[in-house]
Amino acid sequence: MTDSLQRKRVVITGLSVVSPLGNNIADLIQQVFGGVSGIKLLDAPFVDQLDCKIAAQAQFNPADHFSKHTYSMLDRASQMALYTSIEAIKNAGLILDDAVKPRMGIYLGTGMGGANSLEEGYVRLYRDGASRLKPFTVLMSMNNAAASAIALEHQITGPNQTFSTACSSSAVAIGEAARLIRHGYADVMLAGGTEALLTYGSIKAWEALRTLAEEDVDDLGASCKPFSANRTGLVLGEGAAMLLLESFEHAEARGATIYAEIVGYGTANDSNHITQPSVNGQASTMQAALADAGLSPNDIQYINAHGTGTQLNDITETNAVKKVFNGHAYKLSMSSTKSMHGHLMGAAGALETIITTLAVNTNMLPPTINLIRPDTECDLDYVPNVSKTLPNLEYAMSNSFAFGGTGATLILKKVK
Amino acid sequence: MTDHSVSSDKVLDIDEISKVLAQMIASKMELDIDTIKADSNLKELGLDSLDTFDLIFNAEDYFKIKVPNDQININTLQDVTALVHRLIVAQKQ
Repeated sequence: MTDSLQRKRVVITGLSVVSPLGNNIADLIQQVFGGVSGIKLLDAPFVDQLDCKIAAQAQFNPADHFSKHTYSMLDRASQMALYTSIEAIKNAGLILDDAVKPRMGIYLGTGMGGANSLEEGYVRLYRDGASRLKPFTVLMSMNNAAASAIALEHQITGPNQTFSTACSSSAVAIGEAARLIRHGYADVMLAGGTEALLTYGSIKAWEALRTLAEEDVDDLGASCKPFSANRTGLVLGEGAAMLLLESFEHAEARGATIYAEIVGYGTANDSNHITQPSVNGQASTMQAALADAGLSPNDIQYINAHGTGTQLNDITETNAVKKVFNGHAYKLSMSSTKSMHGHLMGAAGALETIITTLAVNTNMLPPTINLIRPDTECDLDYVPNVSKTLPNLEYAMSNSFAFGGTGATLILKKVK
Repeated sequence: MTDHSVSSDKVLDIDEISKVLAQMIASKMELDIDTIKADSNLKELGLDSLDTFDLIFNAEDYFKIKVPNDQININTLQDVTALVHRLIVAQKQ
């Protein structure tokens, strides 16, 4: 263990996704930088009973990856997380030997955990009149089920925790995991998030909050319109996203390919309102990350915005960026990739950190699609509709804000 | 697994019960049914304690019985079969 003053550098060496934009990094790159939408008509038997019939679903069939015995004991959220853990380790080329396993942990974020399993249990009890539930109901529903399944699969014995701060859950998980490595409590961490809440009950609950986007009847894929004057809300999504983090020394010693370095993490709670974000709260989160990284606002060249597509978030986030960056706000670029992959809730921060990592790694900025009618109050460069290149991209930021007020910002740096 | 309701006036015999349970185990553990014998040990077939609870849960549904908590000390397919048979018979009386 090192003294907290001797900070270790933390690098990203493995990436994997199950997402509305594909289940591997190559597909994600093609779609997110190509401005492709993963938002469609929800494929579910109850779709006709919904007011909002669109969603960003992941095309993920557990039977393609696991034995029936394995997947039948896991909620969809855990199945997707487990798959991404396997792929992230492969992507990093990490061999899990006896030296690594005790020094490796898992930090995961999820908003609603095993929502499918819990709802299935309720349906059985309350609708079907059953008097008892499946023996696995608790083990499949609990919020830490996914992180536990990952530890069991890989026999990883280091720190294992699950963070639940709604939409910022997985950004918090990544930031806290980076801190563990930075201060010597672990050498390697799987960090990410998972969410599978496209159930009848969850969608109805979201409908009641009146924050979901109206369907764009001309093009369902264009229903989420962040920063656009005609934006109507967010689109629910599902998926899992996993990063493999290591200390720079650990990565270098094994000759790993490094995608980017995590140089800053900040978290704050706006303590303003259960759903309404505040400029001060969002600004404090970004400022905390900048302070952690020891950077000046002028160093940041790209922000992957929280950018939900709700009236309130997009104006608040724009104003918070202006508060933090002053005149530089008009020089940097900021995009909302939720316009393509929807809002993955507990997995959103991790998916967007992966996209930000890919931006830093490839010098490409992903677009905000469906930005046809600019909002006069949202007047920054949102990389409208098509991606663009930024050859000297060195520092980028990923923002995640949440119901309940916990914000998290991560800052990534190119490793040359 | 298809849910075949047990006829209310017919008590299944031991062989029939054993066959249904073997089918449940084969489906759950993805095993060839021919490898499952009456005296097969559940642990050796790969079932851990939770898998055994799950098997009992499915058997309760299928045979419309309720297995009391103090009767789940079972090791082999034979044990489960005997338990299920005993409960079905008790229910008919």
